[in-house]
Amino acid sequence: MTPAIVFSPEPLLVERSNLSLFARYWSAKRGASFADNVDLYRESVRDAKGFWNAFVESSGIQLEGDTSVVWEGSTVRDAHFFPNAKLSFAANLLTPQRPAFRTSGGNLQWVDPNDPAVISVDETGRVETLTRRELEERVRRVAQALKDRGIGVGDRIFGLCRLTASTLVAHLATLAVGAIWSSAAPDMGIELLIARAGQIAPRLLFVDATYPYHGLGRDNRERIAEITGRLPTVERVVVLDNHSIQTNGPQVESFSTLLLSPSLSGPFETFSFNHPALILFSSGTTGLPKCIVHGAGGTLLEHLKEHQLHCNVGPGDRVLYHTTTGWMMFNWLVSALAAGAAVVLYDGSVSHPEPDALFRRVSEQGVTVFGTSPAYLQYCRDAGVCPRETLPLNKLRLLLSTGSVLFESLFDWVGENVGNLPIHSISGGTDIVGCFVLGSPNAPVYRGESPAISLGLDVRAAVSTPRGVEIQGLPSEGNITGELVCPTPFPSRPLGLFGDSDGSRFEAAYFSDHLGVWTHGDTIELTSRGTARILGRSDGVLNVRGIRIGPGEIYRVVELFPEVAACCAIEQKAPGEPGGSRMVLLVQMAPGANLSRPLTLKIKKELSTRASAAHVPAAIVQVSDLPKTHNGKLSERAARDAANGEPVKNRSSIKNTACLDEIAVHPDITAARSET
Amino acid sequence: MSYPLVRKRVIDWLDDQYHFGDAEKLIRNDEASFLDGGVLDSLGFVQLCLFLEKTYRFKIDRKSLTRENFDSLGKIVRYVIGHKDFKGAA
Repeated sequence: MTPAIVFSPEPLLVERSNLSLFARYWSAKRGASFADNVDLYRESVRDAKGFWNAFVESSGIQLEGDTSVVWEGSTVRDAHFFPNAKLSFAANLLTPQRPAFRTSGGNLQWVDPNDPAVISVDETGRVETLTRRELEERVRRVAQALKDRGIGVGDRIFGLCRLTASTLVAHLATLAVGAIWSSAAPDMGIELLIARAGQIAPRLLFVDATYPYHGLGRDNRERIAEITGRLPTVERVVVLDNHSIQTNGPQVESFSTLLLSPSLSGPFETFSFNHPALILFSSGTTGLPKCIVHGAGGTLLEHLKEHQLHCNVGPGDRVLYHTTTGWMMFNWLVSALAAGAAVVLYDGSVSHPEPDALFRRVSEQGVTVFGTSPAYLQYCRDAGVCPRETLPLNKLRLLLSTGSVLFESLFDWVGENVGNLPIHSISGGTDIVGCFVLGSPNAPVYRGESPAISLGLDVRAAVSTPRGVEIQGLPSEGNITGELVCPTPFPSRPLGLFGDSDGSRFEAAYFSDHLGVWTHGDTIELTSRGTARILGRSDGVLNVRGIRIGPGEIYRVVELFPEVAACCAIEQKAPGEPGGSRMVLLVQMAPGANLSRPLTLKIKKELSTRASAAHVPAAIVQVSDLPKTHNGKLSERAARDAANGEPVKNRSSIKNTACLDEIAVHPDITAARSET
Repeated sequence: MSYPLVRKRVIDWLDDQYHFGDAEKLIRNDEASFLDGGVLDSLGFVQLCLFLEKTYRFKIDRKSLTRENFDSLGKIVRYVIGHKDFKGAA
């Protein structure tokens, strides 16, 4: 049954949207028009090279060199986009160009240098605004300072930093000199930080010595001293908030010193389209976090397409995505600069000093595009927050949500409590630093669904059929459900994994489940209306309240307890919990040991301290055995299916199936299924 | 008789969710402010509110989720016991 439409765009706005203008541009170029949005999507996949070529020509992206070769290589595994082009990621963000598809009408000047580029707000109410001109000047100074200190192409820079204008300057300056940026929020647990930063051998750290949270200032200096002591490659620490800090070795400088440097002169240097720009981290089911290397051109191209065409972002927009520097939505948010928008950075608690603090900032700063998560929307609902009644939100025109599944009831809550505006449930992730499914300014919003598939991305479902697994695209009628895969090249496919010299880990992570096809790890439903619904993870990775957690990060801590023989972390569907799921840790105890309450609390405390609060399970449950495959490998998937009361898909590959039955009926597990 | 029982429920919940055995130590005394003492933030208050509603099967008016009613252990316990639909702490 087709779900209800909860929002329909105004025909006049559809007529003038970037997407419509681009569609006209591409239609004229190819000599044929599109029947509708779904036809446009299908054509962008069928003729993906034509689509990307038209977008590069018309979006205003600034590339040098030959752009006639859209990609070289024949598969999604080995393709490289625009191999003969060069760009400056920083210049594209700082000084965007008017898209050719918008040449008619409007102001000839695309972005005024005196327009705000970044508005940085924190929970104390402090606001710092930089114009385009001011932002560029600061970036040029810090870029020159980095060059003077010997930082250049390929060097890794790690930010342990708040979401502020200074962090943005540091990030853009890093990109400007061709170095590689990576970052984490200041409150990340030390072991997690070392597991990430330690792998990429950074030469320089940008840090914030303090950060506000919920009205309480937190001091990070002791942690910074410990971290720098455990990262031997770090030569220099730059303190963004200019406090004095002590380290055992690396030289310390204040950010204000870097801002006194002379300004980098001339045009920004350009680097190859596939020059590494970012390293993001993603936790799998085993081993250390993956260090995912993303290229400058692919990231920018995908982001610009998502901002311009899917979110209709342009000059005059103010985009706020509620994120930290440790989530890929930080990188996504920053790229809104390339579409001509100002970015609003919010640092602090979402509910301090008022329960509706975040919506209040959205209102005060005239935010037009606000991104958040199901967990936040659920908090607002549970806390009785009703922004529509208490705050002027007349500038807000689009709400985005990502991180986990956005359930139908939250679509209703938004309509009733925020206003009559589209809510786009967007999904993709760190692995592709972008989205596979998202919204469209031209499409209606169906309750519970993402309105569109990302243009140019061949999103398919690996569907189990009586004939075996078949990889299927948008159906001609009805719906299909399967594992999300992408068989053809897309620009923001990572360049690889840092330190994975033979590519074997990259291959195993993304291309082994369906040979040679990008396998994303989500379960997707595709409809003939061109919409989609993400149904959750298809692998053993946990997504708890929008935070992705690799079970391996849990196991590394729990194995410190001799009382525990083995454990298995799973995400259980729990309708009553924020985000609709909770983490359960199943433990098999050592002979003679029992799971007492003091031990339960001790395990939780260790996870909180060594990893993070997000790593603490909602429940720790003792079981007599854990499901293992015939090869002896722990199967989180089997345990998860059992805990959810669903058929265990890989039951035939489990050697000790009796434990699945024990998990399925355990009272500590079944109770959560029925709560709403 | 209800006060110690409700109090223990709240302490156990704080330990399970946030303080992992240290809640009693952190609270110092029943009238100390949760917000000022870093015992609970406003997101946590909403979670506590949901827990109390589920445990004691009554509704808490979100407008009553104020410092006056909820910002210390003593205030929370008295609020629960004084709720018109409170049927006992067992």
